[in-house]
This record gives sequence, structure tokens and C-alpha cells, in this order.
Amino acid sequence: MKHFDEPFNTTQADQFGRASAALLRQGTQSLSPAIKDRLYAARMKALSLRKPEKVRVQKPVFAGAAGNWSSGSNNVWGTLGWIAPLVVLVFGLIGIAHWQDESRINDIAEVDAALLADDVPPDAYADSGFMAFLKNGPLSDSDDSSAQLTPSK
Amino acid sequence: MASAQELSDFLSSVEQRAFKQAVYAVRDDDAALDIVQDAMIKLAEKYADRPAAELPLVFTRILQNRIHDWFRRQKVRNTWVTLFSSMGKKTDESDDFDPLESLSAPDDSEIHQDGSQKLEQSQLLQALESEISKLPVRQREAFLMRYWDELSITETAKAMSCSEGSVKTHCSRATQTLAKALKLKGITL
Repeated sequence: MKHFDEPFNTTQADQFGRASAALLRQGTQSLSPAIKDRLYAARMKALSLRKPEKVRVQKPVFAGAAGNWSSGSNNVWGTLGWIAPLVVLVFGLIGIAHWQDESRINDIAEVDAALLADDVPPDAYADSGFMAFLKNGPLSDSDDSSAQLTPSK
Repeated sequence: MASAQELSDFLSSVEQRAFKQAVYAVRDDDAALDIVQDAMIKLAEKYADRPAAELPLVFTRILQNRIHDWFRRQKVRNTWVTLFSSMGKKTDESDDFDPLESLSAPDDSEIHQDGSQKLEQSQLLQALESEISKLPVRQREAFLMRYWDELSITETAKAMSCSEGSVKTHCSRATQTLAKALKLKGITL
């Protein structure tokens, strides 16, 4: 006979626990049908809300030696996916900047060529009096075109 | 990842045990059913991608958390009920308002037990379940997880968020208390 006033040792506690659990398991068999039905409904509801499984998408596999490399390393395509547009963007910006520089240089060269080829020496444009002459002189007024045609008295 | 069939089988195997454990804690069949349903839904929604071997521990933890949440809600609800009951009494003393009408009977009363326990169980099982319900919360959790759910001491400690030493202490005290109580009723397991 066991003396329950004395503390259990581990083995006795485990034995008592297992015996209790066995008895409790029997008790679950005698649940009322109403409760079993509600538990079944709860289980069905939970299963209907189950998180869907992740669908694995097959990546394209290329034929040839490169195919083995690409199919074996899925990360390569993922990395290329964001590096390639970045590289294209950088090269595009560099090309636009280069084209703008060329365009500006060409414009300046055209102006320089026009200045050098003109009858007026380039130093004249640095003279403020000449600039005022061009601005206010008879050549700048389109209204006076008839006057220019008229011989001066 | 646990398949749908594995999850269904697991829930099927655990639902009745979970219900009984919830009943021991809250002593109300309807509340226990709600708790079990919430735990099942939480498991299916959030943790269905876990391996099947991890489901028992995860579900046990979810169930215990749901039971604790229920007690928290009950505490808040009782606080408001008490507050409004006292306010109503102060403002309108001429009414025939009886505060006792708004109070539910204690869960451990004989009336409640007779009403909720329609389960045809043996006298031994009833005595054991009754004594389990009287155990302190942590002792009951440790005892049921350790022996009924058959979790290891490490798993039980993880589920209860405590040390393994605490689990051993809770289990030892629970078995000691149950054995003494049953012995007083002339029952020896």
C-alpha cells in the first residue's frame, strides 16, 4: 500500500501520472454526440481556413552547357534580375551625358567658326561701343529698312 | 510542411483531449468549445506550414494561451459588471434591482457541475477530473502536458515558458495533491 503522506519520488510520480492519463483518455470516449459534432465542425472550419501551400514555380531551363549552370544556380537569375537594369541605367546616363557634351562642343565650335569667318574681327565683339552700335544702330531696326533703301541726302 | 491530411489527422486526434483540458480550466463546455475552435483556427491559419512533428507543441501552446486570454476577458468583464451593478444601485435605489440576479453562479458549484457534466463517466473518472480542476493553474497545465499530452520535460518547459526545474516541481506537487485527494475518497491509482 502506498503512503501518500510521503512525497512521491520521480518514478512514483510518473506512474501515477501515466495511470491518471490513461483514465482521462477513457473519459474522452464518452463525450456527448453534440460536443463531438461541434468539435468536428470546429475542425472543418479550421481546415477551411488553412494557410495555402506555397506553389513552386518552375524556372525555365536552357539547353546546352549553360543550361546546367543556370538551372543549378537559381540565385544567379535572381541577382541578374536586379543588376541588369541597374547596369543599363548607368550606361544610359553616361551616354546621355557624353552626347550632351559633344553637342555643346559642336555648338561652340560653330560659333567660333562663324566669328572667325566673319568680316568683323572678333575683338570688335569685345568692344562695348560696337555692341551698342549693333543694338541701336540702323542695322538693328527693321522698321527703318525703307530708310536704308532711300539714298541719304 | 504538414499536409492538409496530416493537419486534419492531428486535429482529429487532439480535439477531444483539448476540449477536456479546456473544460478543466474554464469549467464551462461552451467556453471550452470556443477556446478549442479558436486554437484550431489559429494553428491552421498561422502554423500549418510547420512540420507535422512540431504541431503538438505548437497547438498545446496556442491552447494554453487561449485559456489564459479567456480568463483575462472574464476578469475584465466581471470588473465592468460589478462597476455597473454598483452604479445602478446608487442611481436608482427605488428599483427592485437585485444584484444577485446579474451574478452567475460560481463555476465550481454543484448546480453547474450537474448541468455541464452530461458525460456518462465512471465515479473514478469524475473524482479524478474534479480533483484536476481544483489544482492550481500551473500545476494542472504541467501535469496535463507532461502526462496526457506526453510532452517531454523540455517541451513542457518550452510550452509553459518556464524552466525545466519548475516543470518538475509543478508535476511533483500536482501528483502529490491528486494522490492525497483521491486517497481521502478511498481511491488508489
